[in-house]
Amino acid sequence: MTHLQDSTKPDAADQAPPAADSQQRPPRSLPEKITFAAASTILAIVAGLVGAVWINPQTQTPPDVVLRQSAATRTVGDRFYVPFEVKNQGGETAESVQVLAELEVQGKVVESGEQQVDFLSGGETESGAFVFTQNPQQGQVVLRVGSYKSP
Amino acid sequence: MSNVRYRYRSSAWKQEWQDLIRGACGGFLFGIPLLYTMEVWWIGSSVTPTAMILALITGFVVAFLLNRTAGFRKTQDIRAIDAVMDSVEALAIGIICSTITLILLREITPQVPLHEALGKILFEGVPFTIGVALSTQLLSGNRTDEAEESQTNESRPKNDEINATIADIGATLIGAIIIAFNIAPTDEVAMLAASVTGGWLLALMLASLMTSYLIVFESDFSDQRKRMQQRGIFQRPLSETIACYLVSLLAAAFMLLFFQRLSFSDPWTMWLHYSILLGFPATVGGAAGRLAV
Repeated sequence: MTHLQDSTKPDAADQAPPAADSQQRPPRSLPEKITFAAASTILAIVAGLVGAVWINPQTQTPPDVVLRQSAATRTVGDRFYVPFEVKNQGGETAESVQVLAELEVQGKVVESGEQQVDFLSGGETESGAFVFTQNPQQGQVVLRVGSYKSP
Repeated sequence: MSNVRYRYRSSAWKQEWQDLIRGACGGFLFGIPLLYTMEVWWIGSSVTPTAMILALITGFVVAFLLNRTAGFRKTQDIRAIDAVMDSVEALAIGIICSTITLILLREITPQVPLHEALGKILFEGVPFTIGVALSTQLLSGNRTDEAEESQTNESRPKNDEINATIADIGATLIGAIIIAFNIAPTDEVAMLAASVTGGWLLALMLASLMTSYLIVFESDFSDQRKRMQQRGIFQRPLSETIACYLVSLLAAAFMLLFFQRLSFSDPWTMWLHYSILLGFPATVGGAAGRLAV
């Protein structure tokens, strides 16, 4: 291995003049050129994607967070799981999104639940579940987004 | 004549492969603690496109400055144009490796919006790029000294095999502790355990083994010929990689136990899950330890 490397890489001491500031490495080999071309392409794609995000007007709109029940209530023992999905339909990121659920039976709030989502980027969806001990079918579950803050 | 040309080409490709792997390994050593930091994921989630471009430019400038003195190639970089080209490659290596790791850690999934994924990739990729550009400075050790090299295989006493094996295990433990001890007490392991499940855990195990193998046997950080002359029990590349991975997993489990992240009342599945997650940085550290110590 060492022998092969020596045969391909000209000895710097033989080729370079004695001055340290004029030391140069040998011309780029074909593999180095191919790697550089691939690296430039990857960088160009990433920069292009960032540019596309930048000029997209959708990403400049303020957060618009909506909360909905995503599936039917699941019952395990004496617990009732109400699955929810929270989505940011706006463009900018919302931080510390507070989602609330209240179980109303005959107009009175009998149970409530709260959850906080750390970050919700534009277009992102997070899901979870509220847990009640009373059957939500005996009343009405009210879901709402309480608050968020700008990062 | 054609044989000489073939050898030239094959050697040039091998040299390039080693340079790229060396760069990636340096990136892992420097960048992996940040890949396990949730605050960096959050920065990536909320960052603006302007900040992404600035991060890219900053990464390039820092890599350029480092490539003038360190770099990931063993050749000297004096000309600015070489440093510029190497910096482009360092950024690309950083972006690819951080993207793969973020996918393995389920921080980038098909559900993650494009600009959030880009933010995470760039803010994890820039520290990774710095590691790539520092890679020749991070590790350049030889694990054998001249006296040991002069011994013939036949003249080695049996004790040397045991000593070499103990040295390997010790070096793996030291490296694993240096890298993973900072990560073990944090919440990230528990957070990642919630999302990295099933096949992704197997993929992470495979990535840990591959990274360890590449650092020790493919990156040309140390003299491969001398390495092969070592007589430890697990000295063959495959057996050494697997044995040291198991040592890293054990080290990860003990670190989690030490910091009360795991207890004996926890189910064994949790032990396995957490150890594999912390085992990735521990394995990277362990592989580096075997070269450096």
